[in-house]
Amino acid sequence: MRVLEPWVTDPLAEFLRESAARLALVMTSSGQVIAQHGFTRSVDVMSAASLGAGILATTDELARQLQASAGFGAVVHQGGRQGVWLSGFDTPRGRWIALVVFGPESSVGLVRLFFARFATQLAAAAPALVPVRDVLAEGFERELDDSLRNLFGAH
Amino acid sequence: MNPAVWQDALREVTGVTGVIGALIISADDGLVVAETAMEGLATADVAALAAALVTRAVRCNAAMQVAIPSSLHLVATAGALLAVAGPSPLWMVAVAGPDAELGRLRLLLRDFAGVLR
Repeated sequence: MRVLEPWVTDPLAEFLRESAARLALVMTSSGQVIAQHGFTRSVDVMSAASLGAGILATTDELARQLQASAGFGAVVHQGGRQGVWLSGFDTPRGRWIALVVFGPESSVGLVRLFFARFATQLAAAAPALVPVRDVLAEGFERELDDSLRNLFGAH
Repeated sequence: MNPAVWQDALREVTGVTGVIGALIISADDGLVVAETAMEGLATADVAALAAALVTRAVRCNAAMQVAIPSSLHLVATAGALLAVAGPSPLWMVAVAGPDAELGRLRLLLRDFAGVLR
């Protein structure tokens, strides 16, 4: 498993253990990868992330066109040997997307059940955002001077 | 396949004393096909977990080279779960409290598993 945000590790590990999913990819709604599990070189993470984000964006737009105000909860692609679960969920860091690939050792029902827990645990585990300091007009010139002085030295 | 008949069967199962809910599930995907349950019973969760249990029991029996199970009875301190195989991949599942008439429930489930065909 590889994670960009360490607090994602425990909820994702539990989800993978409980659901018996084979591959998992957690990303932002723009397709930036946050965490991945099970991807090898033969499965391109970046392609999967961008395609997954694209599919979900398409279904969101389809829901809007159909005036389904709540949108669609998840997209499931069921194949003969494996299936794909694709779902968006809200976190304190914005809307994220999970792409989960599961085989016959799991099921849509199991992935759905433990995915709901995963989303809840992730929301609880997210650390508070550090507020971005506003740059005020009155302090801007002084901060710029300080930065230039640091970069080029005082004269 | 007759969903109206299925609903009648499920209603009769939930009519047994102590039964909290009855479901027809698909063991392949762990989803609810039909259900009758008391409010508060997470039927989708029951379907997912019961399907996982059934699938593993089938695999276990296959590994032991014995007959594929046609029913499953899980006893817990606060109740029981009974599942009876219908035509693949359907199973009829009942969730019962500790005071349920389990004998009658088993017989009913066996009878109604045939209704699924």
